[in-house]
Amino acid sequence: MTKLTRRSALGATLALALGCAGMCAPAAMAQEGYPDKPITMLVGYGAGGQTDLVARAAARAMSAQLGQPINVVNKPGVGGAVAARELGQAAPDGYTILFNSNALINLAPFLMQNAYFSPDEFDYAGMITAFQLALAAPKDAPFDDIAGYVEWAGKNPGSSFAALAPEARLYINEIMKKTGIKVNIVPVQSGSEVINTLLGGQVMLAYSGGIHYRYPDQIKTIAPTTTFRHPSAPEVPTIEEQGFPLGMDTRTTVILPKGTPQAIIDKLSAALEACRTDPDFKKITDSADIPIQYFDAAAARQEMESSTAKNKAIMQAAGVIAK
Amino acid sequence: MDYMIVGFQDVLNPTTLFWVTAGVTLGYVLGALPGLGKATGVAVAIPMTFYLDPTAALGMLIGIAKGSGAGSAVSAILLNTPGEPSSAPTALDGYPLARQGKAQKALKMGLYASVIGDLLSTLVLIMLAAPLARYALLIGPVELCAILLFSLTFIGGLSGSSMTKGMIAAAFGVFFATIGMETETFVPRLSFGLLELDDGLSLVPLAIGMLAVAEMIVQAGNIKALDHESAQIVDGAAREDRIITRDEWRRSIPAILRGTVIGSIVGILPGLGASVGSFISYGATRKASKTPEKFGTGMIEGVAAAESADNAVVPSSLIPLFALGIPGSVIAAILIAAFILHGLTPGPLMFVQQPRLVAGVYASMICASFIMLAIGYFGQRLFALVIRLPLRHIIPGVLLLCSIGAYMDTNSVFSIYVMLAFAVIGFFARKLDFSFVTFLIGFVIGPTLELTFRQSLQLLDHRTVNLVHHPIAAAFILLTLLTVVWLGRGNGRRVGMAPAVAAVPGLDTTPGDTTEIKRED
Repeated sequence: MTKLTRRSALGATLALALGCAGMCAPAAMAQEGYPDKPITMLVGYGAGGQTDLVARAAARAMSAQLGQPINVVNKPGVGGAVAARELGQAAPDGYTILFNSNALINLAPFLMQNAYFSPDEFDYAGMITAFQLALAAPKDAPFDDIAGYVEWAGKNPGSSFAALAPEARLYINEIMKKTGIKVNIVPVQSGSEVINTLLGGQVMLAYSGGIHYRYPDQIKTIAPTTTFRHPSAPEVPTIEEQGFPLGMDTRTTVILPKGTPQAIIDKLSAALEACRTDPDFKKITDSADIPIQYFDAAAARQEMESSTAKNKAIMQAAGVIAK
Repeated sequence: MDYMIVGFQDVLNPTTLFWVTAGVTLGYVLGALPGLGKATGVAVAIPMTFYLDPTAALGMLIGIAKGSGAGSAVSAILLNTPGEPSSAPTALDGYPLARQGKAQKALKMGLYASVIGDLLSTLVLIMLAAPLARYALLIGPVELCAILLFSLTFIGGLSGSSMTKGMIAAAFGVFFATIGMETETFVPRLSFGLLELDDGLSLVPLAIGMLAVAEMIVQAGNIKALDHESAQIVDGAAREDRIITRDEWRRSIPAILRGTVIGSIVGILPGLGASVGSFISYGATRKASKTPEKFGTGMIEGVAAAESADNAVVPSSLIPLFALGIPGSVIAAILIAAFILHGLTPGPLMFVQQPRLVAGVYASMICASFIMLAIGYFGQRLFALVIRLPLRHIIPGVLLLCSIGAYMDTNSVFSIYVMLAFAVIGFFARKLDFSFVTFLIGFVIGPTLELTFRQSLQLLDHRTVNLVHHPIAAAFILLTLLTVVWLGRGNGRRVGMAPAVAAVPGLDTTPGDTTEIKRED
């Protein structure tokens, strides 16, 4: 018994020493040789979605830069919250990264009562694409902007609006509040449902994540709900230009666990920048009308903080969250 | 038509055929593995097709989708573990057949039904894409809601011994489907603060738990039955147990055709999916049969009905995509990205702008059907060997496969817990004779029914009168009412007399489980 105990005590000490050597010493070295093993890229959506395809293309382009494979692991759930929670528990060594829309951090916490993430909880390697979020209408609709829609909806009571996400409700609710029109809000759950309801004439206005740009002959953009005009429709003024200060931007972001060494962040950031010129990556984003707008690590953190603050102010003004 | 000939010329060369074959084979294997399905397969393969020419690339991707539909029957029949949820009804009769030593017969029927359903549906796509798609847009949420309501009446035909128990099980299915984020207020329902439940329970681990794991537990607890069945499998060497007899063909062909029609229609309608198609087809065939009480004990028509519908959904779900550019299913939505990537923008214009490429895609789809037949035919001989193993050796392997399948669905252990929880529910459902078929139907149809009902309320401006603008919906509501009245009167009694079979597939050889249920009145 004693012998056993002593042996196991010895073993434990040895393991501890080894473990310490394994953990402490290479911590500094790891930054030099990073990456010297495959990287896991979490994606907060199921395989096959639009953002998943962009993530996979980014993983290919980045792994060519870094010289190590990047394995994409889908962790679907609550717009990436499940994946983000897992990322928060991972070691900040650059071997676990998350590719996700930053709506997870700058938008969702204000709209849904589940896991709350703040911008300070993570580090960011950069942003690569923007979502062309917009209000869209059938091509033959008798209006071209929000003012026209309001006038039309006033004359045609009982019309419907397709709401894909909670922020879609915020937009139409704010428009209704300001103008006094009344519109029924139809819940939809996917981009293809948005298209179906628009083409089938069931709704006259819908909130789209950008998929509607694929149907230029059947669907037109009424107002981008972002702070910038869309590369796919530069002539359409944004919702802010049309008098509703509600522009909220979301972008695909490479999110890292808090405390990732700066040298590793910079390497990942440089690898992400390579996507801009990667022909395969461009092919994927072009085919889906997704504009590439690269932000390096510093700019990404800045954008994260400012957009979160702006969105929070919009929600407070709309009464969605308490002040 | 001229273009079709050119299309076949583009496809019938070694390179393109190789890639289509590779796609079908990959799909077949992925389909047979529980938890891995067509969506994952196609999504992962899209980047692999970057360097192929468009016809080969699209042929390969559609090949994966087609192959996995056929492959999922293999594990459903041999292991009672549907490779994809849409093959769950295949297991209901396929697995009992396999336990009776007729695995090869069931596999063959599954394959032939798959290929016929797939091929006919492909032809429907080619012939009718343009004209049919116009009607697809007439089916909005209001119509869909009415159609789903009508399809719920099939529960009456699938309840097994007692309609009351069947409806209770279905209600539980709908209840479990309500877990997760509510679609209008985005408040999580019944999630107990678990982030994993915010998006609701996933069908894959739930179906694996209820069907496969529960079945394995029941089997493992019954050594007598094990020995009994092992003895029976030896008898399976008889030739008529391996081939499909003329009489079985005669009974199955109507089921296959019915399944193809149902599958094609379900595919065209937006948002329903292959699971709804195969369950409705199975229910309809059972209802049409002269011996509905024998379903669940190894009726070859059951396999034929489920598989033909399951496979007919894939090609026909491309109809709205090709004709209007609207994805009718998950797989179509994923394929859009691939199509655009390879220079083919789905929509009416593609027939004008790229007729040759469209013809090439059509031709490769037809080729994929035949390749599927060949691969399935030779692959099955290999797969069927599994059944010769004693069950006690199979059970641990299947449980491992089940766990992997459940895990792969979301890459998280939580899915395995879901699987285990529903294994317990499935076990008691079997023992207490509650139909897990109606449970699954409730679970599959419930969320879409709720969503379309909420959508309908808004679209109808909260006024029932507005239904007059939706004649198709009104007709289906009327049909539903008539069916309910009809079921409530005569048919319910007939079903009430039937022995308890549908709820206990694979285990009805033991006397204790097939006791006649007393009449309710």
